[in-house]
Amino acid sequence: MTRTASDAVIDTTTRRRLGFGFWVSVGWLFLIIGVAVLAPWLPIADPNETGYGGRLDGPGWAAWFGTDTNGRDMFSRTIWGARVSLTVGFIAIVDGILIGGTLGLIAGYFRGAADRVISFVFFALLSFPGLVLALLIIASLGSSLMVVSMTLGILSIAPVGRLARAATLTFAEREFVQAARVLGSTHRRIMVRELLPNVMIPMSALALLGMAITIVAEGGLAFLGLSVSDGFSWGKMILLGSSPRTLRNGPWVAMMPIGAMFLTVLALNFAGDRLRQYLDVRELAF
Amino acid sequence: MNGTVNGQPLLSVTDLRVGFATQRGLVRAVDGVSFDLFAGKTLGIVGESGSGKSVTAKTLMNLLPSYARVEGSVMFDGRDVRELAAQKEKHFWGVEMTMIFQDPMTSLNPVKKVGEQIAESLRVHLGRSRKEARDEAGDLLETVGIPEARKRLSQYPHELSGGLRQRVVIAMALACSPRLLIADEPTTALDVTVQKHILDLLDELREERGMAMILITHDLGVVKGRTDDIMVMYAGRTMEQADTATLFSTMRHPYTEALLETIPRIDMPSHTRLVPIPGRPPDLIDIAPGCPFAPRCRYSVDACVVECPSLEGHGTAHVCACHKPVGTEAGIAARAANEQQGTTPTGLDMGLFEGAGSRSGTGAGN
Amino acid sequence: MAGSGTIQLRDDDDIVLRVENLVVEFPVGRHQVVHAVSDLSFDVRRGETLGIVGESGCGKSTTARAIVQIPRPTSGTVVLDPGSDREAELTALHGESLREVRPRLQMIFQDPISSLNPRRFVRDIVAEGLAIWQKDHSGPHSQARIDEVLEAVGIDPEVAATRRPHEFSGGQCQRISIARAVALDPEILVCDEPVSALDVSVQAQILNILEDMKQRYGLTLLFISHDLSVVRNVSDRVVVMYLGKICEIGAADTLYSSPAHPYTRVLLASAPEPAPTVDPSDAAIGDEIPSPINPPSGCRFRTRGPRATDLCAAEEPQVQQLGEDHFVACHFPTLG
Repeated sequence: MTRTASDAVIDTTTRRRLGFGFWVSVGWLFLIIGVAVLAPWLPIADPNETGYGGRLDGPGWAAWFGTDTNGRDMFSRTIWGARVSLTVGFIAIVDGILIGGTLGLIAGYFRGAADRVISFVFFALLSFPGLVLALLIIASLGSSLMVVSMTLGILSIAPVGRLARAATLTFAEREFVQAARVLGSTHRRIMVRELLPNVMIPMSALALLGMAITIVAEGGLAFLGLSVSDGFSWGKMILLGSSPRTLRNGPWVAMMPIGAMFLTVLALNFAGDRLRQYLDVRELAF
Repeated sequence: MNGTVNGQPLLSVTDLRVGFATQRGLVRAVDGVSFDLFAGKTLGIVGESGSGKSVTAKTLMNLLPSYARVEGSVMFDGRDVRELAAQKEKHFWGVEMTMIFQDPMTSLNPVKKVGEQIAESLRVHLGRSRKEARDEAGDLLETVGIPEARKRLSQYPHELSGGLRQRVVIAMALACSPRLLIADEPTTALDVTVQKHILDLLDELREERGMAMILITHDLGVVKGRTDDIMVMYAGRTMEQADTATLFSTMRHPYTEALLETIPRIDMPSHTRLVPIPGRPPDLIDIAPGCPFAPRCRYSVDACVVECPSLEGHGTAHVCACHKPVGTEAGIAARAANEQQGTTPTGLDMGLFEGAGSRSGTGAGN
Repeated sequence: MAGSGTIQLRDDDDIVLRVENLVVEFPVGRHQVVHAVSDLSFDVRRGETLGIVGESGCGKSTTARAIVQIPRPTSGTVVLDPGSDREAELTALHGESLREVRPRLQMIFQDPISSLNPRRFVRDIVAEGLAIWQKDHSGPHSQARIDEVLEAVGIDPEVAATRRPHEFSGGQCQRISIARAVALDPEILVCDEPVSALDVSVQAQILNILEDMKQRYGLTLLFISHDLSVVRNVSDRVVVMYLGKICEIGAADTLYSSPAHPYTRVLLASAPEPAPTVDPSDAAIGDEIPSPINPPSGCRFRTRGPRATDLCAAEEPQVQQLGEDHFVACHFPTLG
């Protein structure tokens, strides 16, 4: 065949825009992750140094976010708290995606018996009260950063896995998967090369939302006394600042970590949602 | 065209333009289409996807999304259809002008019984009582040739075969005795054995009721012998328009000729080399100044790339938008010149058409 | 009429595909079975194109999929290169040994967009077969092969390297599918309604490319379509199917010029431009196709057949020979 002028590739480089809000969210996330990672080298006070300021000093030039009941700098503590909260959220969701995603992919691709067993596991995980499970695990294994993260990770397996399974089911029906089988692809190759890149799209958006949920959940665990024992998270800080007396005399002790958590969770949700919309339609060239 | 029956056409479309604003720019889906349709006549609109045939139908039916930009005039029996749309007139669409679609399930509610769906439009538009409407619905199902019509009234759409569903949709369309029926690819989703029956049925009903009909299709074979007039559309424009017999006997537009030649015919011996239409339809956003078909046309000359031809008459009621029409001296010369050079001004390799087109001198016949 | 039998099988050396007594059934609901394909037999000679034509629900696409063993047929045999030292009985192979013969039998599908992975570059899609089977798939030899098949179907290899499927039109996507299928140099290419989703102006391009590919790479084609004209154009031999059974099989021009089975005559008479060899009145037939869950007894076509008798209800017709390469399964075929 001879190619002709009109036979050229359609120009479908329609840049769907992510929007201003998305970039503000991403900017905030980069900022918070940046300061959390760099905390030991930043010119900020030692978060555990009591008597950095007075007891319950209000926000001001000396201590931007004020001080807590022990006179520790809240600004520095909020940054150090981010390290723990973000780590927990990150490890938990990576766990959920690795385990849940793999199981969901297998269930959705093979269907049949594998699907029945895996779906049953997901249902069992979903119907087991998450809080009780967390209590059991942390009570028996201690509340190190790793244990808390893994516990929250286990709780995210079922929701992530069910999404992965549903996405896989729709793509496994498509003819390109059949074409791969006709070519002689192994099942493993089909799952990795053909399905995974497609399933990763909804998963990546869910990962951001999942991280937000995990950060909040960790805060909830703190109120049950199950927060990370090595170091402190935003959740633990909120707990420390939420006695009636502290709330009355120094509301900033609770409000600063709450504000940081609120903005971070909002940014994660917003970015995740925009990302999902953006990637959803990429296939539909006009 | 053919305009002597009652003087006034039932439907008169003048210089219709429809655009859709997208992020890439304005998509000119319909670009200056005009036609007249008289009561009791059938117009076939033939084109491929993107030709604007379905958008034209949707414009008539007031089914375009709100962001569509419409220009031009649509007159139905002396009334301005676009004004009716602006006034949100309820008893026009579905009553005087109605439409059936390719997939019957798009017009049927899957969770309502067939009888109720037909009866509903009778009650809403004609104010029939529940009982009257049900009886009439039964009669309608009989009219469209559904066996055991009364029994079908209490069935759901999914209990019927594709052919029966399309008959139900036709019955619904006929409920209010419309004066114009638009059928958009009514048989494309159906099997061949059913397709013929549905087309025959539409023909009979049109005849009996003196309805006008617009039959939209991608298949020239479907309109051949069934319509009074044919309009061939490409890239939102009318390429050629004539009464059906004239179009098939002395077609003038290279696109019409190419469409007819590219489809294998059932009486061709096996392995007859097909004449392809190279390339593909143009992008409707960045429309080049010339003829939209020029890049795929074996008759094209330099002028085709620069200047878009307007519709010009070729005998009575036959118009064609082409600088070098098929079968005319100019056309024959242009093609011969391209053949001699081996390529067209748009860079098409004439070798692609080898073995094709003994028709160019005489016009395509059968 | 629509019936069974194996008399149409040829005993030649150059048969590349033999399908014998193929049965495909799917369970639906409780204790019910869809009889999608029932006792179907045919063979394909090297370099031949066999067309399978029929209406929706006749089992033509199910047959295509059963031949490539996705999903596997309920019973029957599918043999590649019978009688040669490369003989492979697909229906007897499992797992790795089935996977190893797959490159010899490739397939293209109806929906060109859905056939291509939206997340991969077109060149990688076409190279996938080589990536699976060739150790040096990034070497110059394999790269040259990919360039060659892409050029053969009219896609610029450079452009293919940086574009994803959504940047191409439907016709171009179908060309990419063809390139992917022929890259592995298969013996047989199964085409399941390859032009049904395309615009008429693009259809001829694809059909011509398939003919070119056949010449260039010595392919044998199994071409499935509901369009009688298209099937005649590409095929040397045609099978007409109805409700999972064979009606008529024979050389394309013979079958179209002297159709013997009443169903073939109905199909030819129903085409938008009916074939001149049949009477337009032959198209008179009921709309209702019986359910494949409870197919009619005897001949499955009898409920719509214009001349059906008690014999048709009682006894299933066997395939019988009419002419040199013309077979029909009907108690009362039209002769001459």
